[in-house]
Amino acid sequence: MLEILKPGLETSIQDYPGRIGYWNQGFPPSGPMDSWSFRMANLLVGNLGGAPGLEAQYMGPTIKLGADTVIAVTGADMRPKLDDKPIPLWESVAVKAGQTLTLGPAVSGARTYLAVAGGVDAPDMLGSVSTFHKAGVGGLDGHAVKAGQTLPVKSAKGTAGRKVKADKRPTFPSDKHWTVEAVRGPNDDWIDEAGHKQFLSFAWKLSARSDRTGYRLEGPDWTFTPKATNKAPEHGSFPSNIIDQGYPLGAVNLGGQTPIILVNDGPSMGGFICPWTVPSAAFWKLGQAKPNEFLHFKELSVDEAQDLRRKLDATCTLDSIE
Amino acid sequence: MIYDEPKFMPGGDRYVLIEFGSEMNLELNFIAQGLASAITASKLKGVVETAPCFASLLVHYEPNTIRYSDIVKELHAMVGQLGSPENIELDSRLFYIETMYLDPWTKACIEDYSAKITPKEYDPAFVARINGLADEHQLVRVHSGTEYWVASLGFWPGLPFLMPLDPRAMITCPKYNPPRTWTPQGTVGMGGSASAIYPVATPGGYQLFGRTPVPIWDYERRFKAAFGDSIVLFRPGDRLKFVTIGREQYADVEARVKDASYIHNVVGYQRFSVKNYKAWIASLDRTERF
Repeated sequence: MLEILKPGLETSIQDYPGRIGYWNQGFPPSGPMDSWSFRMANLLVGNLGGAPGLEAQYMGPTIKLGADTVIAVTGADMRPKLDDKPIPLWESVAVKAGQTLTLGPAVSGARTYLAVAGGVDAPDMLGSVSTFHKAGVGGLDGHAVKAGQTLPVKSAKGTAGRKVKADKRPTFPSDKHWTVEAVRGPNDDWIDEAGHKQFLSFAWKLSARSDRTGYRLEGPDWTFTPKATNKAPEHGSFPSNIIDQGYPLGAVNLGGQTPIILVNDGPSMGGFICPWTVPSAAFWKLGQAKPNEFLHFKELSVDEAQDLRRKLDATCTLDSIE
Repeated sequence: MIYDEPKFMPGGDRYVLIEFGSEMNLELNFIAQGLASAITASKLKGVVETAPCFASLLVHYEPNTIRYSDIVKELHAMVGQLGSPENIELDSRLFYIETMYLDPWTKACIEDYSAKITPKEYDPAFVARINGLADEHQLVRVHSGTEYWVASLGFWPGLPFLMPLDPRAMITCPKYNPPRTWTPQGTVGMGGSASAIYPVATPGGYQLFGRTPVPIWDYERRFKAAFGDSIVLFRPGDRLKFVTIGREQYADVEARVKDASYIHNVVGYQRFSVKNYKAWIASLDRTERF
């Protein structure tokens, strides 16, 4: 078991791919924002890649370990320490009952993943244990972990000293500028060519008002095609209003003039256009970008985005571990 | 406008959005749900789930199983097989939802908004006035005088977007501006031409005129008979009818909900035929009001 001494800023139980199959009832999948790092942490300790683990955001938790086991820490560097001794990221580590794992503020990246052999044991809610804070679903009690809580762990044996191969780890930029892949559509024909060019050339600042439901981007105003202004009144009064439609996860959703990338806990539908969509294989970058960092979008075709997804899924396997 | 050919649009590497037209027209939602039902029946490999909305259907697929161009080809063929919307028939449960209109809780919520955010007319009086109805009592007759169609769910898990099936009950109203910071759980309200029930207390923007004690959100799994494997009551393609109740009946239902003895009133044997529905509405005098 894991005893939470300090919860960190927002540490939650997640599994991958999360709560799938309830989008038409309004449930998002939730799950880890950076599924690359998350799956690697699980594989290191001998779990299936999607097993329940912890996601720590910006400022990590302090956890007392309740049993001799094997853990792995991946993703953002929160300078993990076991008692007072630093431990490596991207490597499985043997721990003893009574030892304390301390994660500090993220010095590179934004989200750190902790896997423990066997996985965290939390009640299944609609096929997943992933925490969806907004509606209080998943995790132990629907919310981020709290000080004093004890998280049960399923028993399993892990092997210490396993590492993710150096070239199979995600790398985070040192200059705060991220290149994020994006695919045109579904509503790209509402934006004019100047608007698309601007989307692809501008350094969009990630707003502090971003969370697991949406990533707000700060930047210039968008420009539209006549379709956005000459339309039936039931679409709504703003150029970016459209008759309510289902939203793809990853959609760059234009609320008024503010683009919001809909991420893991995002809404399933709404009345704003989505001119671009960030493909699944680029989500890890969103998970690791911090507020006030900059996103540069790079256009991919659907096929290229699907190839990237295949490549990422092929990376997130035991072949990447030595 | 209803398109001659639906538009297929990619949403990144794992979604297709299929748009059937660009207007609020129930027929477009019937087509979206008809296609969703055909996709489920076909067991098309790689489809993860579908989500219908007013005029479109979102299909979520597994890109490692099927490529975009291939799934579009398959879906295009299925749309062709649907043929005329008149052929569409859908399983449709009918829920009776006991609702107290002009209730004290939404009244208090409106008064709170008026006092703290911006003064506004009492919502039922406002909606009655702009729709040319005599007063809020006629609004209650009109609003409760039709079955509603669950066109889609969203904004909050389990929140149904409801379209009146009887054109004589069609009314419209603007949303709050700015939105409310809170809305009581179970509130019944509307914005644009859609009605909704708030599953839990949340912010919101709809005009409010009633409240139901019937749970449509069951986090603790106390009403499995009605909710099945989900924790939200409605699915796209369900219908519901608001049954007007008074304060005493409200308290009675509330007590049954509290001790989990409440039984949802649901009719489960019916199929909704677009053909029959269209024949029926063609026979109505749409200028009539209840």
